[in-house]
Amino acid sequence: MNAPVQPPKLPGAANKLKSTRMAGKLVNEYWEMVWRAKEEGKLVCWYEGSSINPFLEAADIVWVHGEAYSAMLAARHQEGPAQAAAEERGYSRELCSYARTHLGCAVNNQRHRNGSDSAFADVPADEDISAKLPPPDMIISAYAYCSTGQQWDEMTSRLFGKKIPIFNVSIPWIWASGKDAGYCRGKEWEETSVYVARQLEEMVKFIEERTGKPYPWDRLRELMRNVKRASELRLEAMDMCTARPAPATLFDWSVSIAPINQLPCTTDIVDYFTKVRDEVAERVRTGEGAVPKEKYRLFFDGIMNWNKLGWLAEKFAKYDAAVVAGRYTHMAFWQEPDLIDANDPVMGMGQNYLICPNNHSSPILIDLVMGLCEKYQVDGIVFHATRTCRAFTNPMHLIAETAHSRLGLQTSMFEGDVADESFYKDELLNTRVEAMLEAIDARRLATA
Amino acid sequence: MKKHVMGIDFGSTTAKAVILDLNGNLVAWSVAHMGAVSNAAVDQAVAEVLAKAGLTQADMGRTVSTGYGRRMLDIADKNFTEITCHARGAVAMVPEARLVIDIGGQDSKTIAVDSNGLVAQFAMNDRCAAGTGKFLEVLARAMEIPLEDMGELAMEATQELKISSMCATFAETEVISLRAEGYSKPDVLGAVHQSIATRTLGLVNRVGKKGPVVMTGGVARNRAAVHFIEKALGMPLLLPDIPQIAGALGAALIGLDDWRIELGKAGETLDEDYHVDAQMTLDKACVTGCKGDPAAAANPPKPGKLQSAVGTIQKEL
Repeated sequence: MNAPVQPPKLPGAANKLKSTRMAGKLVNEYWEMVWRAKEEGKLVCWYEGSSINPFLEAADIVWVHGEAYSAMLAARHQEGPAQAAAEERGYSRELCSYARTHLGCAVNNQRHRNGSDSAFADVPADEDISAKLPPPDMIISAYAYCSTGQQWDEMTSRLFGKKIPIFNVSIPWIWASGKDAGYCRGKEWEETSVYVARQLEEMVKFIEERTGKPYPWDRLRELMRNVKRASELRLEAMDMCTARPAPATLFDWSVSIAPINQLPCTTDIVDYFTKVRDEVAERVRTGEGAVPKEKYRLFFDGIMNWNKLGWLAEKFAKYDAAVVAGRYTHMAFWQEPDLIDANDPVMGMGQNYLICPNNHSSPILIDLVMGLCEKYQVDGIVFHATRTCRAFTNPMHLIAETAHSRLGLQTSMFEGDVADESFYKDELLNTRVEAMLEAIDARRLATA
Repeated sequence: MKKHVMGIDFGSTTAKAVILDLNGNLVAWSVAHMGAVSNAAVDQAVAEVLAKAGLTQADMGRTVSTGYGRRMLDIADKNFTEITCHARGAVAMVPEARLVIDIGGQDSKTIAVDSNGLVAQFAMNDRCAAGTGKFLEVLARAMEIPLEDMGELAMEATQELKISSMCATFAETEVISLRAEGYSKPDVLGAVHQSIATRTLGLVNRVGKKGPVVMTGGVARNRAAVHFIEKALGMPLLLPDIPQIAGALGAALIGLDDWRIELGKAGETLDEDYHVDAQMTLDKACVTGCKGDPAAAANPPKPGKLQSAVGTIQKEL
């Protein structure tokens, strides 16, 4: 056997992309814009799940994506006040921590702005940004697969006194049971695409009612041209990570979720992904790896543990493990730009909402994951069993079983969460990942 | 020339140590139970095993650690995870094993090993203590009976009760409720062990049920746990004489391979017929006490002839 897999000790092992640093600036500017919304007399829409933000941005409505705000708080380690507020209000720790954190923001918002809960009414501390979200003027619920999504929106509505108009877009689960069914094909796919697109047209009417203005379709087309191009660049850069050593890892792509998923759809996101693509290409040309001594290539199945993003990037790098792809990063976020006709974008937008990675029946989902594992030539899969998102965790054992039987891959599962750090225990991950890497070592030597 | 190696399993609730000679003979072993990842326990286990062997730490050519506290030991030359070490130790104890069930203090794990003794797949419990030794400890306390008496009492169960919760804390509440309803201690304990078996079956299914199955870890000494797991699996369990030391033994065997290679490089003459796994089988250190009939299990290889590929790989160190 090789030298034993040793725990991470040295700092700075991950050679992260430099170009992604711009994401932090763009994210900060975006949230500053959100926080100023009411001062500037803007309408505000809260939504979760599907990236309907271009529809809102085109209509000059400020958009607040619940998961994005919760993830941002977690990444900054500022999620505590919001989660505490939600729990005080009675929301269980077992509830999706994205939802719990965001609901906590709503609770704090009410307390601080209205003094509705006199026991807690107070001016928010400068460092507590959980109360800074502008209250919604409308809620749009457009969630694929997640059963919590609609309840989350309903709970938000209640927290604001049930006075907020809600529009619901139903995004059906893709059963793929027909003989002609497959990824983005078949009768069911065609029918559900039309069904979602029709609702999006209705959603636009809802938006028109809120703004009192005709919907600016030209502006939406302009924004979607940027989204489509940004998506193409992102996927082009991701594809280059089949190189050995991989020039970028899942952690770089996690940092890049905000620019593709919720930041303003201006040319800034095209510029961002152009720079990312160029840096990745240069790394491929020079043979520079995101993990300097790449020894293992892994697939990460699970939503990112936002409290631990940098921590995990360093941990895997110190194991000489390049996490080259993942279900969350590589199967979501405008991942099918070819479906988008920028001149007539609604259908393609709806179709991208439909192919959320959780929204496929298991055979399609598993084939997609196996395809990525083969494409990126991984040695194993790490499963992040998200404690408060069982939707994402449900098929993991099926994926693991197939990865083992079909591709002979080692797999390992650890428990954590998207935004609640208390569910993550470092030693549990260490032992499980190290055991998997030891097994990979043994297998390599046996077959050498 | 140093003629011995040591393996230490610095576990969450117990510390185990094993000393082997250069031919892989079990010279001494010890188990110390003193609390969570206890330095005192590991010190005691090491002192005890050295005393039993009549040796000192300076006599050890290699010391390899495993378990929760594996990185905390200054005396260890290397450390490996429990998965690698338990697989190695269990296969050495019972060469025909194709599946290892290990229920320790804080972890329960199932490890599928292939015909070469390599880890094919493994599964571990999540962060919850359900299905572990800790689960039994908590419920023994709730029932006000010594831990070591739980298994025998549970075997006296006459009716099937159900503990639905896997969480130790909630299960404790259920146990108290059942007792308050007048159910006997044996019947409630039967349900406790059944819940462990259910949890274990879930882990087994994650790596694939295949025999022969060996059970290691302290819980393997609990007759009721073995009974209910066998019943849940529908297969017999092979039980080593000293199931707690599988991890420490595996660590010692890894250390032994490493040390023998180093001695070989240094020009020392070693026993050319040495095969770790065969040696362990010949010693009958563990096989004699095995329960069940290995031959009746699915496709067992011939005992004593399994040259573990892990062993081969270790020699490549």
